[in-house]
Parts: sequence; C-alpha cells; structure tokens
Amino acid sequence: MILLVLGFLALRPAKAQDNYEIQVYGSDTVAPKTTMLELHSNFTAEGSCPEPGSRFTAEGVYPTNHAEHETVEITQGVNSWSEVGFYIFTSARNGDGWQWVGDHIRPRVRAPDSWHWPVGVSLSMEFGYQRASFSKDTWTMELRPIIDKQIERWYFAVNPALERSFHGPSVPQGIGFSPSAKFSYDFNKYISGGLEYYASYGSITGVSSLHNQEQQFFPTIDLNVSPNWEINFGVGIGATASTDHLIVKGILGRRFDWTHHRAGSSDSTQ
Amino acid sequence: MRTDRREFLIGASFALLGAASKRKLWAQTPADVRLEIAPLKLDIAPGKVIHTVAYNGGVPGPLIRWPEGKPITIDVVNNTDVPEIVHWHGLWIPSDQDGAAEEGSPMIVAGGQRRYSFTPRPAGFRWYHTHAFAGHDLKRGGYTGQFGCFYIEAKQEPGAYDQEIFLTLHDWNAYMGGSGDASMDAFYDYATINARMLGHGDPVKVREGQRLLFHVLNASATATHWLALAGHEFTVVAMDGNDVPRQAKVSAVRLAAAERIDLLVEMNRPGVWVLGETRSDFRRAGMGIVVEYANQRGEPKWIGPPETLWDYTLFAKQALVAVEPDERIPLLFASKFHGHGDFDYWTINGKSYPKTDSISLREGKHYRLAMRNKSSDDHPIHLHRHTFEVTSLDGKPLSGLRKDVVVVKANSNAEIDFVAGNPGATLFHCHQQSHMDFGFMMLFRYV
Repeated sequence: MILLVLGFLALRPAKAQDNYEIQVYGSDTVAPKTTMLELHSNFTAEGSCPEPGSRFTAEGVYPTNHAEHETVEITQGVNSWSEVGFYIFTSARNGDGWQWVGDHIRPRVRAPDSWHWPVGVSLSMEFGYQRASFSKDTWTMELRPIIDKQIERWYFAVNPALERSFHGPSVPQGIGFSPSAKFSYDFNKYISGGLEYYASYGSITGVSSLHNQEQQFFPTIDLNVSPNWEINFGVGIGATASTDHLIVKGILGRRFDWTHHRAGSSDSTQ
Repeated sequence: MRTDRREFLIGASFALLGAASKRKLWAQTPADVRLEIAPLKLDIAPGKVIHTVAYNGGVPGPLIRWPEGKPITIDVVNNTDVPEIVHWHGLWIPSDQDGAAEEGSPMIVAGGQRRYSFTPRPAGFRWYHTHAFAGHDLKRGGYTGQFGCFYIEAKQEPGAYDQEIFLTLHDWNAYMGGSGDASMDAFYDYATINARMLGHGDPVKVREGQRLLFHVLNASATATHWLALAGHEFTVVAMDGNDVPRQAKVSAVRLAAAERIDLLVEMNRPGVWVLGETRSDFRRAGMGIVVEYANQRGEPKWIGPPETLWDYTLFAKQALVAVEPDERIPLLFASKFHGHGDFDYWTINGKSYPKTDSISLREGKHYRLAMRNKSSDDHPIHLHRHTFEVTSLDGKPLSGLRKDVVVVKANSNAEIDFVAGNPGATLFHCHQQSHMDFGFMMLFRYV
C-alpha cells in the first residue's frame, strides 16, 4: 500500500496553488502608485476525501472536499511595466478550522506598450511556501509566461506555466507543465462571459497518464462595473480522476490609486 | 456604414471636381500661399524619427499670417497616395471652402491639387489641419503632422507685448491601448512642442522685464494637455482666438484637442526654465520647451504648479440677464460599446453619423445647443464656420466667452449659443479624431 501511494505521488504533478488562486492571468500589470487587493474565494463542492478513520487523504494532506479556500492577493504596481504580488493562502473546512496554508511572492514584468507588440506579453515568477499538511511539496516555484489579445469583443489568454518543487515528493520529477487558458466575449460593457481551462500535465520530460493529469473547465462571468473593481465568478468541472470534480470560484478585486489626484486635474492622467 | 458614406462623398468629389480642377488650377496665377502635403521623416530628437505626413516638409506647417478681410488664395498639392483635405479651423468661410467633405468641400485626390479661395475672418488665432478620416489607421488624419497656425490680424492690434511666440502641441506614434473607461483609446509614444521633444529644440530666448505673448495650439488628434511655465504665471487673454471678457492669472492651462489659448507672461524670474506639460509622464514623452533668460546658464528647471482644475468661468462674465434663444436644440451624447478591444462608437441623440439627424437653421436666428454628455469621456466639441458663446456649464450661466471648441466634460451639461450667420452646411463634431471617426458628428443645414 505504501509503495502504491509513493508511486502515485511520484506521478502526481507538482501543483503549487491547487484551488487557492484560480485565475488565468492577463498581460497587463498594475499601474505604479496603485495597489490591487483581491480576495479569491474557492469552494470545492466535490473534491478529495479523507481516508477512513483519518483527517487526511491518501496523499497525507487535508482533503479538499467541502473546503473553503480564501486567498488574499495584494499586488503593488512598481512602474508602467512591472508589479509585485503577495499571497496569503488560507483554508477552512468543517472540523479542521480555518488554517493558514502558506504565502507566495510574485514579481511580474511585461512588454511595455511602447514596444507595440501585436499581443500582450508578460512573465511572472512565483515563489513560496505551503504547509506540508496541505501540499507535500512545500517550497515551489512557478514561471508563468502570459500571452493575451483583445480583439473587439473577444479576449484570449494563455498561460503555459512551468512549475518546480524544491522540497517534497515532486522534486525528482523536475519541471512540470501546468498550462491555463481563457477566452471570453463581451456581451456588453459590463458583462463578459467565457471559458477558462486549467491543467497540469505532469513533468515536461514525461507527461502523466490522462488519469493522473489535472484538467478543469470553468465557465466564467466577468463583471466590469468600474475600472476600480474586478469581479470574476465561475463554476469548475474536473474532467479527470485526479481533479477535484466541482469547484465554485469567485474573485473580488479593488484597485487603490495612491496618487490622490483629482480626475481631470493638472496632475492626473485619469 | 460610416465610412461608406464618407467614401461616397470622396468618390463624388473625385468625379465632379477632382480631375477638372487639377487641369484648371495650374493655369491660374500663383496663389498667395502654397501647401504641399507629402510624407515626412520628422526628427523630434536625436535618434527619434517619426514617419508622418506634413505640409511643406515641416511641422507645424507654415504660419499663415493674413490681414482680416483681405481675400487669400491657397493652393494645396496632395503628394500622398490617399485623398486629403485641409480644414480652415475657426474661420467664417463658405462650406465648399471650409475643408470638410461632409459639408461639400471636395477631397483632393492623390497627386491632385486644389485652390482654396476665401476672405479670412474673424481676426485672431485660427489654424488649419487635415480633416481626413483615420478610423483604426492611427497614421492618418489628425494623428499626422498636418497642421499649422493661421493668424488673422485685426485692423488694429494693440501689440502690448515684446515677443510673440507660437507653440503647437502634438502627440506622436499613436496606438490603441486599454483605457479607464473599459474601451480602447489612443495612446502615444512621444509628445512635442513645435515638433521637438523637451531639451532638443531651440529654447525660447527672453530678457528680464519682457512681456511674452504665447499663442498655444493643441494639435493633438485626441489628447488633452496641461501646460505651465516653471516659476511664472500666465495671464489668459484669448481663447480659440477670441479675447476673453475677463483676463485672469493662472499657474497652469488646459487645452483639449483643437483648443487654442493666448497667454501673456511677465518675464520676471531670471533663470533657465521648462515650459511643459504639468504631468511628468508627458514631459518624459517630450512635451516641453526650454525658456532661457539672457545671460542665464544651467540645466532647465521644472517647478510643478499647484494641482489645478480647469474652469472656463474664470474667464467669462456672469450672465446677469438670461437671453432666450429663438430655438433650443437638445443634444445628447452617448457611447456605444464595441468591445473592450475596440474604440467606442458615439451617438448624438441616439444616432451615429451619417445617420445623425440633420438640424435645420434659418439665417439670422439665434440658437442654443443644450448639450448633455452622459458618457464617461470629455468631448471637445467643435462647430465649423461659426463662433459660439458658452452660456452655461452644468447649469451655471456665463457670458462673453466666445469659442469654436468647448469641452463638455463627462457626465455634465453645457450650453452654447450662436447666430446662424453663415449659410451653408455646417459640421458639428467632437474634435477627438477617434470620436468623430466613429459617429460623433452631425450636420446643420440652412433652410
């Protein structure tokens, strides 16, 4: 049994964020002197369950079934082409209480507008820690290229992310491939609907079997009620055995402009 | 749909006037002014070259300085491969000379030429610029270097200044970017004064005790600019070429696209200063010019003015008695969303040009345009071939402020009055190129 579990773990891709931040990144960065505060709320309606007689799953981590994951993301714009994000991951589940899971830091740069590239391009590097009771891979890093394009009412984004564990059972697997993608359509100025895709294919040198891959599809709605607010809502369906089968996700973001300039004034670019 | 109509007008112009006028005009006597429209590689700073189109191989085009009431002829030669047209902005001239295809002025075919003939009036600081459609092609129309100053001299000018300086603001290398209102807008790589980036043009040389008169034109296709002269104050003496009823001192001025302002400055603080955009992003992009006192050396200094909100009413009189117009014309401005990846389209009273209503005017009647802007963008509204008086802003009455462009701020009301005194088709539009090209135009017709 132990050998079986170890074998399974060896095949599991390293997934640092799991159901804590479910988001396909766009290429834009937060403006300088501006802070974006986001709350990611994800409820796993149908996920992994504990082993009989245990609080943990077969992988030795807290189960995700009926777990509420709350992640605070604070992103500070550095200049017109870079930002730094910081995450606080938490989890709440009946019987397990509300627990701190870990923290990540994520610097990001993008191709400046003045380069006039035909698509938006940016690159984020996320590094952080999560407790072993939530992920056996405790120190992980992610390199996420981001490519996106808005054409009239259509929006496309792809994030072919590469992940690496530095401490945990996935270390031997090397670099994992976890792409995500999104397309959406603007129904009107305020409401966009789309589909987001999240996957984890395992190591780039040995793709996992379909059974062990993670694949999720999220029909989503984005509400663009104000440039200062970001609202995203979706319901995710796991398409493989290794994926949580049903997740409800929401993102609520608020932008804070610290320049305090009055709109339209001699100091304001708004 | 919008371009079809314009293309129809262009095509009709070709058929009726293009080839014929081409042959006829060459045979005429030389014009008073000749403008040649041609591609130009414009050096705005060392190593920074803009590929644009301009008049007579320079930006701005030649200053046309002409006595009020004296007829002028201007030959315009179009040495580009697209139709062009020149609009004489702020002049009371006939529709077929005004330089807007929508009013009936013919386009000048590629390789063709046209003679404009009119009597310049009223006196003051006017300008000329292309009135060609750009649409999504941000290297055409107002995005190019096709503009110049047109100063119509009054019969009697007091000349209470020591130096007169023309400054033209422009933005270059436009591209579509995401804006705060969730739709695309035009953004720019560079900004210049008199086609040079800050620190790369000739300084304005002054002496202590001089009075300088600056004629400033914002020739940007879309952008609004703020200007200040470090360490000095401006006295606003005229707007859009018309004397203001109340001169006032300010530390910074705002100019929307197509607005002009005449500023007097007492040169009373020796040094080397920057006259530039108040916002550092725009100064870094190049919008500024050095003002250098005699016998002063050193790096140009910038001192930011206090944060300022622009208020037209500072320069107007209080309206004591309400003068009722013969007719009040309500105009509602709104945007039509075309996706986060496109410019907004625009409507006046629910319709986009060329489907906008055509308003009938009777000569001699006094009209009031009651404008309500329910969009989240400011609109510099321009009425061709007439001067109007701004009579109220958000319900606050004022008088005496005569202009040909007025900014109707986002979610606000503004009223302007004019007398229908220049028969002929008259175009009314937002002067932001990306707004007028996408529906924000309408025609007034005299009946």
